[in-house]
Amino acid sequence: MIPREVVVVAEHMAGELTDVTLEMLACAYELARSVGWRVTCLILASDPKPFQALPLAADKVVVVTDPGLGSPNPAAYARVLPHVLKDLSARLVILGNTSMGIDLAGPLSHDLGAPAISGCVGLRAEGDRIVATSRLCGGKLVAHIEPQGGLAIALLMPGSFHKELGMRDDVPPMEVRPSPETLESLPVHFVELIEPKMEDVDVTRVDVLIAAGRGVQSKENLAPLEALAKELGGAVCATRPVVDQGWLPRTRQVGRSGMTVKPRLYLALGVSGAPEHTEGMRASGLIVAVNKDPEAPIFDVAHYGATVDLLELVPILTEKIKEAKGRQ
Amino acid sequence: MKIAVVLRQVPDVVEELVIADDGRSLAEGEVMCITNEADEHALEEALILKSRQGGKVTAVAAGGDEAKDALATAVAKGADEAILVAVPFEHRGDNVRLASVLGPAMKSAGYDLILTGVWAADQMDAGLAGLLAVHLSLPYVGGVMSVSLEPSGAKGLVRKEFPGGRLGVMEVSLPAVLGIQSAEQPPRYVPVSKVMQAKRTLQVREQAEPSPVVQGIRASKLIKSGSAAKAEMLPGDAKQVAEQIVRILRERGIA
Amino acid sequence: MSAESLLVNVEERGAAGDATDEFMRRMLKLPMGDKLLSCIQCGMCSGSCPLGYAMDYTPRKMIAALRAGRVDDLYRSEAIWLCVACFNCTYRCPVGVPITDRLIAGLREELLGRGVGVPPELQAAFERTSRYGNPFGESSKKRDAWIEDAGVEVPVLQGGDSAEVLWWVGCFGSYNKRNQKDTIALARILHALDIDFGILGTDERCSGDLRCTSQGEEGLFDVLYHHNIEQLGKRKFKEILVGDPHAFNAFNKEYRRLGTPLDVSHYTQFLAERAPDLKRRAKKEITAKVAYHDSCCLGRRNGEYEAPRVLLETIPGVRLVEMPRNRENALCCGGGGGANWLDSYVWQRTRVPLAMQRVQEAAKTGAEILAISCPLEVPRFEDAIKTSGLEGRLQVREISHMLAEAIGLNGGVRP
Repeated sequence: MIPREVVVVAEHMAGELTDVTLEMLACAYELARSVGWRVTCLILASDPKPFQALPLAADKVVVVTDPGLGSPNPAAYARVLPHVLKDLSARLVILGNTSMGIDLAGPLSHDLGAPAISGCVGLRAEGDRIVATSRLCGGKLVAHIEPQGGLAIALLMPGSFHKELGMRDDVPPMEVRPSPETLESLPVHFVELIEPKMEDVDVTRVDVLIAAGRGVQSKENLAPLEALAKELGGAVCATRPVVDQGWLPRTRQVGRSGMTVKPRLYLALGVSGAPEHTEGMRASGLIVAVNKDPEAPIFDVAHYGATVDLLELVPILTEKIKEAKGRQ
Repeated sequence: MKIAVVLRQVPDVVEELVIADDGRSLAEGEVMCITNEADEHALEEALILKSRQGGKVTAVAAGGDEAKDALATAVAKGADEAILVAVPFEHRGDNVRLASVLGPAMKSAGYDLILTGVWAADQMDAGLAGLLAVHLSLPYVGGVMSVSLEPSGAKGLVRKEFPGGRLGVMEVSLPAVLGIQSAEQPPRYVPVSKVMQAKRTLQVREQAEPSPVVQGIRASKLIKSGSAAKAEMLPGDAKQVAEQIVRILRERGIA
Repeated sequence: MSAESLLVNVEERGAAGDATDEFMRRMLKLPMGDKLLSCIQCGMCSGSCPLGYAMDYTPRKMIAALRAGRVDDLYRSEAIWLCVACFNCTYRCPVGVPITDRLIAGLREELLGRGVGVPPELQAAFERTSRYGNPFGESSKKRDAWIEDAGVEVPVLQGGDSAEVLWWVGCFGSYNKRNQKDTIALARILHALDIDFGILGTDERCSGDLRCTSQGEEGLFDVLYHHNIEQLGKRKFKEILVGDPHAFNAFNKEYRRLGTPLDVSHYTQFLAERAPDLKRRAKKEITAKVAYHDSCCLGRRNGEYEAPRVLLETIPGVRLVEMPRNRENALCCGGGGGANWLDSYVWQRTRVPLAMQRVQEAAKTGAEILAISCPLEVPRFEDAIKTSGLEGRLQVREISHMLAEAIGLNGGVRP
């Protein structure tokens, strides 16, 4: 049996591989070992140095370099990737289901003539076939997909695999090659990357997070949540819809396009638990969720849940915590 | 400046989702459809651009009757033109197919900018936005949070979101396709009376699917999630739940 | 997009006066709209408005602005969204200017039409009502899920069915967990009284509450009206019993105006007619001083002040006390005019929330129970009691729930 090639397209920012890249490697490595396939970690960058001597869970690392690959420009990646992937005889391409990966899926799918499967939370191989498991409709549905034909592209949801398993003990061999395509006159020009303005709270460094979801209903209702957060020595964070409404700054957003957090306590209030949010918090130590809808997907990732009215619960909870602390 | 917005109809998850008898799709009679949220943002961004620098906004909807309602709402909000591409229910989530249908339908119109949501709730594939860009041989950037256009109309400046709250500023040559994540303002309100009026006077250009049509991936099995590891549900009223939570927190040394 | 940028268009049409002319032309076409011209600028409206102190344009000043050709100032003003539709101004106006239903509603309609300056929470409530038939955005298919916990049979009338009494439950009574116990209480009372009743179940949609919550959104009301009368038309019944004063007002005034006269009563009126029977059955004492809060829609708008009091007096142990502002002088709970969704908006612009003022007023009378007849008031007053530190001293109770307790029907329903 010919060992197939699994290629993980790495994501990196500021010279560091992102967590999702390690998760993709963990996924690829597990799949490859189960059927005797091989894993290549593919990095597109302007400089290979930051990625040298990393003990990644891959059979080899290929770094394609070009000055034009120094920024996350989707047009640059789209021009280079098809050629490299064909050259590597990729059978399964794994991208992150992230803002970077999603940009590439369509053009890549077309250029390689291969189906792209998004929202993957699981990937396995059965003999020569690939079976993907994806979540859709806010996490309420799970689909099993078996792409037909040869090459397939899978977009892996962050948080689906343990990033620790993306590293091994030894360092795989690294090959550096120049870009097969020139990156002149691209239709997209990367101007600059704007870092978020950090205000007083960095939600990634807080031990206790009270998450406000749509169920909080109004900006005014954040006040009791702030009081609860204060009582627990934590901070209030939010899901995307709450931030989009302008009730909290974007630096408080947890989820795919916001922050990834791992506090000791994540209290999700009025949060439905759509995958775009849960991928940013599912590794939290203790997750307690309150949502009126007993079928809300948040209860799939929470350790404890309740369907009481959060606006009723919060003041009572704050009081009881105060009492409990007073008795200490 | 000619801007097109593609509006897709997706299952409304507020209603219960029912799996069809074939075990791999949703039961048509039970599904309520709603315009994809990211597409609503795409429409809003288009209308904001129109109010800033003029131009014409064409709303393109793919679907059936409920898609006509979406077009009426778009026109009531300020879109100038409405095009309906009929797509049978069972194929509405297939963006590969949609892109192959919409591509030819939109090619000759000469749009300067095509906006649609960067993803859809019922998506299993690469997503309409990127695939449409490929069919139209146009540049594509997704995850866009804001767009501004150069007066000459030759380039657009977009802000694309990256993890950690970062924003990438990019210059895109027009014409282009942009996958909108969220508009600069939440989608605007339009009163029911305006929508009703738009429904009554709506003039829709209908376009049939060209054939043969490309098919994308299909699920081999579709199930409702929430079977495995679920949360331990705390019973009782708010007071009782609060007491239990405090106990759990104290056990873990968190409170 | 700011209100400023869109209002530029208005000014480009010519003098600011043109926009005012257009607004007035619209007003004059509506019934009683011409009364706007009769305003004598006495200021009774502004004086009786519970939030007048926070408005840059009080009702009197709004009319003055119209006379000065400055409707744009009103479009820019936030005062329009502070109106809780309590009807005090209209009730007291000596010349009968329809302030709430024409002036405020007309200004709101204009802004809703432009999609400018509309508080997003209100927008969301309208969109949810339009789509799901209730402002909470819950599935229309779950509207009658509450009957599973009723403990008594609640007949759901399908097309072609008949009953003597059609019970219109309402959105809050159906969906809101804090109100469901009161709905169940009423179901049990109707059962105990052997009333032949039925509900529409999932065919019931929001009544639209045009004059209050849906101020300015006539299109939405229209759609709901047509749906509801079609559903009502499919069933046979003699009268309608309504749990919610907002829906009662919609049926009593608006549906009648639109050509669908219905024999409708609020549940307090319906039960008050059976007071002697209820009094006989009410064996359990509720020993407490009780202050009844007159709701705006039942009271000022429809003139019903006595029926709720008659019912409270059937309960042994109840001693009725009156708050200083009672009957037509009652202070609104602050939930009308869409304000139920705008707490954040309103509280940022005012001093003490109306609900807090009201519960403090109740507590001052020595009352232990604040009895109410409108479901919006339950969460509003309960929250106000907590914020005022009156917990344990004052309790909010819906009249139906108190009656059911007195008759011994509340077993298995959490208090």
